[in-house]
Amino acid sequence: MLEQRIINYILEELHGGQSDLKILPEDDLLGSGLVESMGMMRLIQFIEDDNGIKVSPQDMTIENFMTVAAMVDYIGRSKPNG
Amino acid sequence: MIYLLSHTITDSARRFPDRAAFRFGKVSLTYREMEQRMNQLAGVLHTLNIKKGDRIGIYLNRSIETAIAIFGILQAGGVYVPIDPKAPITRSQFLIEDCEIEILITQPVQGKKVSQIIKDKNNIRTVIGLPETEGVKTISWESVFAASAAFDLPFRILEKDLAYIIYTSGSTGQPKGIMHTHYSGLSYARLTAELYQITEQDRIGNHAPIHFDISTLGYFTSPLVGACTVIASDAVTVFPATLGKLIAEEALTIWYSVPLALIQILQNGVLADQALPHLRWVLYAGEPFPPKYLRTLMQQWSATRFSNVYGPTETNACTYYHLPEIPITDDPIPIGQVWKNTDYLILDEEGKEAAPGMTGELLICSATQMLGYWRNPALTEKSLHSVLAATGQASAFYKTGDLVKEEDGILHFLGRKDFQVKIRGHRVELGAIEACLVAHASVREAAVYTVRIAEESLKIVAAVILAADSEESVNNLLYFLKEKLPLYAVPEEIKIVKDFPRTSSGKIKRGALVAAL
Repeated sequence: MLEQRIINYILEELHGGQSDLKILPEDDLLGSGLVESMGMMRLIQFIEDDNGIKVSPQDMTIENFMTVAAMVDYIGRSKPNG
Repeated sequence: MIYLLSHTITDSARRFPDRAAFRFGKVSLTYREMEQRMNQLAGVLHTLNIKKGDRIGIYLNRSIETAIAIFGILQAGGVYVPIDPKAPITRSQFLIEDCEIEILITQPVQGKKVSQIIKDKNNIRTVIGLPETEGVKTISWESVFAASAAFDLPFRILEKDLAYIIYTSGSTGQPKGIMHTHYSGLSYARLTAELYQITEQDRIGNHAPIHFDISTLGYFTSPLVGACTVIASDAVTVFPATLGKLIAEEALTIWYSVPLALIQILQNGVLADQALPHLRWVLYAGEPFPPKYLRTLMQQWSATRFSNVYGPTETNACTYYHLPEIPITDDPIPIGQVWKNTDYLILDEEGKEAAPGMTGELLICSATQMLGYWRNPALTEKSLHSVLAATGQASAFYKTGDLVKEEDGILHFLGRKDFQVKIRGHRVELGAIEACLVAHASVREAAVYTVRIAEESLKIVAAVILAADSEESVNNLLYFLKEKLPLYAVPEEIKIVKDFPRTSSGKIKRGALVAAL
């Protein structure tokens, strides 16, 4: 499922599979330091590739990417016919 | 009379009780509310028996609580020490130990990291801003805001007393704590308020985290005049579209940040049609602003004035240059002139005053100058140059380590003293090579460094980030440099990279960059 794929990407790719971390869909990713600025850019790249969408600079906002839940919501709105 | 930084809040609360003092996202505090919260936190700190000059750590991302923490600590007679939540745990622990911090102010979102910090090091006896945490006494923000706002300071604080300590990475390993007083902080506030004509009508965008002294415009100057500081969240740095929107929607009149934040807005093209009729001033500091970007930005924001602010953390800031017009050439922007209550010297390699127009190290003696390095009198002494006046009074000039030359009363920054290298007997400014590379249309950013290839021999290497969609070849870049630089200054190698390792304020981490390549 999409939500879990994003969480897995953060855990596996951005944190190198550190096992004691737990990420909830509502966690403020940047605020808590779970994701750094470079990591966010990689994450957005992953989301684009994974969902076949292109995130425009205008859409790169806190509202759309603050939490995993917000990302899932954004992806849903961005997919063709979605 | 205002002689302590916390007096700025009390004074503005009396003059402008209902004006917004600080804003963050949807949260806003008026000066009356700010004074109340400052006193509540100060009162809570005194229930913990803090003594005059106790160092108290602020472990917060940019938020409304940062303002409350700063002024609560100052009002209580303490010294605030910003600790960057993005820094490695070991660095935070080093600061806590070095400064003997026993009280930490934070937010629930930092809970996991705070637990890690206090796990091995038990200097910390109380954490403010967390729910219950194992092994330490905690006080939640809710109970701070339920506390009494009436308290009496059991000792006296003077303007020459310590107010804050900012740690910077020393060029040789250990971070060093730069001590500033209420006097140096207020001097900065008064100088900037006058220089940029800041009044209670202004709305200042604060982008810098509090461990970076660019933040003092928003935290010191703004309350001095009763202006409103709009604190930009960490996420704004990551999402340029959000930053552009913030400047427009909050009707900011003054913006102050490192150039990178503004360059990012430009590169993402998110400002194209945005009118910013309120924006009076853009101030930037920290790194040179490549003229090609500044040109575009000044064309887009044609009604806004731009000012280059310069100064090492040891002096907070000390020079300014208001750009008289849009720069036509790619020559670096001057750092301008020293501001009021500030003296300067330019010394050559032998420690003598450099002849007019000649290069030398800039030394500064100012009202905004630091008290010294925390518990490091040897380093403090090494950083100062004493000048004896006819009266017998000695003035301590801070050696900035920056090379400048003066032309027609205008100072030009040429690079770091330790950034100047000798290549086959020629003196080379690595900064000048970077400026040259960035002038190329396909280059977004450049960092130039040296690699030792033999005992007495260095080679110059450049790392370059290309502009989006550019496929410029290394050979073309070398050819471009050969046309502009003497041959010995042309890098022997250019590496194309995707990004540089950076500090949380956006500066390039040069040591890490060299190690990574």
